[in-house]
Amino acid sequence: MGIIDVNGIVKKYGEKTALDNVSFSVEKGEIFGLIGPDGAGKTTLFRILATLLLPDAGKASVEGHDTVTDFAAIRRSIGYMPGHFSLYQDLSVRENLEFFATIFGTTVEANYDNIKEIYSQLEPFGDRRAGALSGGMKQKLALCCALVHKPSVLFLDEPTTGVDAVSRKEFWNILYRIRSGGVTILVSTPYMDEASLCDRIALIQQGAIFETGTPAGIVSEYPYGLLAVKGKPVYPLLQFLRTCDGVVNCFSFGSECHAAIDSSVTGCSRLQRELSGAGFRNFSVREITPGVEDCFLQLSIRKRDGMR
Amino acid sequence: MSWTWFFLLEKEFKQFFRDPGLPKMAIAFPVLMMLVFPFAVSMEIRNINLVVVDCSRSEASSLLIRTCTSSGYFHLVDVCDDPAYAQRLMDRNEADAILTVNADFEKELGNGSSLPVGIKVNTVNGTKGSIGSGYLTSCIRMFVAQYTAGGAGAQTSVSTSSPSIDVSPKYYYNTYLDYKVFMVPALIVIAITMLTGFFPALNIVGEKETGTIEQINVTPVRRSTFILCKLIPYWLVAFFVLTACLIIARLMFGYFCHGSLWNIYLFTALHITVMAGLGLLISNFSSNAQQAMFITWFFTMVFMLVSGIFTPIASMPRWAQAITWLNPMRYYNDAMRCIFLKGSTLTEVWYDALGLLAIGAATITGAILTYRKTS
Repeated sequence: MGIIDVNGIVKKYGEKTALDNVSFSVEKGEIFGLIGPDGAGKTTLFRILATLLLPDAGKASVEGHDTVTDFAAIRRSIGYMPGHFSLYQDLSVRENLEFFATIFGTTVEANYDNIKEIYSQLEPFGDRRAGALSGGMKQKLALCCALVHKPSVLFLDEPTTGVDAVSRKEFWNILYRIRSGGVTILVSTPYMDEASLCDRIALIQQGAIFETGTPAGIVSEYPYGLLAVKGKPVYPLLQFLRTCDGVVNCFSFGSECHAAIDSSVTGCSRLQRELSGAGFRNFSVREITPGVEDCFLQLSIRKRDGMR
Repeated sequence: MSWTWFFLLEKEFKQFFRDPGLPKMAIAFPVLMMLVFPFAVSMEIRNINLVVVDCSRSEASSLLIRTCTSSGYFHLVDVCDDPAYAQRLMDRNEADAILTVNADFEKELGNGSSLPVGIKVNTVNGTKGSIGSGYLTSCIRMFVAQYTAGGAGAQTSVSTSSPSIDVSPKYYYNTYLDYKVFMVPALIVIAITMLTGFFPALNIVGEKETGTIEQINVTPVRRSTFILCKLIPYWLVAFFVLTACLIIARLMFGYFCHGSLWNIYLFTALHITVMAGLGLLISNFSSNAQQAMFITWFFTMVFMLVSGIFTPIASMPRWAQAITWLNPMRYYNDAMRCIFLKGSTLTEVWYDALGLLAIGAATITGAILTYRKTS
């Protein structure tokens, strides 16, 4: 049994199924990432685990406490940071922190060690109203408030959405330090590049989890070779690549196209020949190792085709 | 856990006093209610524009005109002898009432037979019209009484042919029929209703809107504790406003409560309970402040119009009277006026207490039931 156990959770909003038979388990002291696009059902799952929402079917438990019958015990031991900033904007940084400490029956001083590292960055703004903080600072304050009562499990719903690249990196460093204190962290993110920062991840789309494992494990199971093709114009290039022999699928990734290939049929040099034959100039083709995003797209296609 | 209450309340008060509008309003509300509205929400009609069509042009008719204007209720626009001209003035909204005195006014007056005087009233504003004509009639009656009394002394004539009935009404509980006295308790009713029902509802919906209620819900704080801590500051403000209103009424107008102040506070507490339930119901059904505002506005309008504050409930049609039974303001207003003006005790206004208790039980039960359903 893990610290967080999710077993066949189903949640419907009217006709729409938000979560469809979701199951996974999180071990003690790991950072578990829930990776999926907007609207995949991540927030719904977080709200169920944080005892804010009742599932229509299935069971979930946090530290052995059932989320439905034993919600009071869960609320004492978790820290929850919702996706949108939800602290009191008209209270100052210090007042927010003190308020959330006191309603858990503790004080900021008693748990100062727990939040010291993050709070030290916020302390110069102690008297500023929370509403007047920058985006990154708001997230740090929210994390402080979620940590101030020494929770053993932390739920972070899209903590880095809308935060700049530097602050995101900093935020992840903070998460590693929190984990080293033995805290289990469930984090969700729509950013695939953050997936590799987690210990284990679950890929979720349209309310269903289609893969769970370590980022490296998921990447290693990528069944095809992968080529990055750079060239112009992008859209005709993409269209052409999809028609080539041995190209299983092809997606655009920023300025490049990632083409999944059957290595027994085609390869780097053959594709180069075909591209110049089709009249493309100034392009480059190189072999790359797949990332989590490649796996996500690959698996979501397989799932879609499987459903057909 | 007991400390949690303290910290939740501390937070509410911090937010209350930090709000740019609320603390100012808590002060401005009683002041406005007591110093401005008693004059503004008065049923007393003054400055009725009067045109007199005087065909008699006699001493008696000019005396009649003087009696009318000296009453203070009328503003004499013109005295003429052309009824058509007077009508034109009324058509142009320059005259509210026309008093027509016929040519043989003085003669008929001496005879003591029926008086040839006509009154026309502009009833675009119904209240002004009906009350205006009432004032005018009583002015004429007063004039006739004075004139015949004066004439009798001078002429030693035989008693007038028609027996004169001298009716002198005595106003109980409000000796001078002063509308301000009558409106003070009613304005307190309006102030308390606004403060205790609708502001907490908006506050709770505000926490929903910003998502902070989620953050509270994942803490061990019980929802009932949280909600109660939201309501308490407004209750304290309500009692503050009530006390301030009573003090201002005493100092400014010299009005004092004829009944027991304990009863005033008791009924206020009962009304607060009702409004708390209603406010929570509203907050359960609205997900943003705009919705809450709209529902709030709807209820305020309906409650105020059928509360008996502005128009007597007894004069409403049966079906409208039936609606008022569901209106908590009706009971609270009735009790407040009875206690304040008459000095009624609980044994006399027990039915108001019962009404408030019944509605309070219904709204609070409803609030609790729907709260579970929506969570």
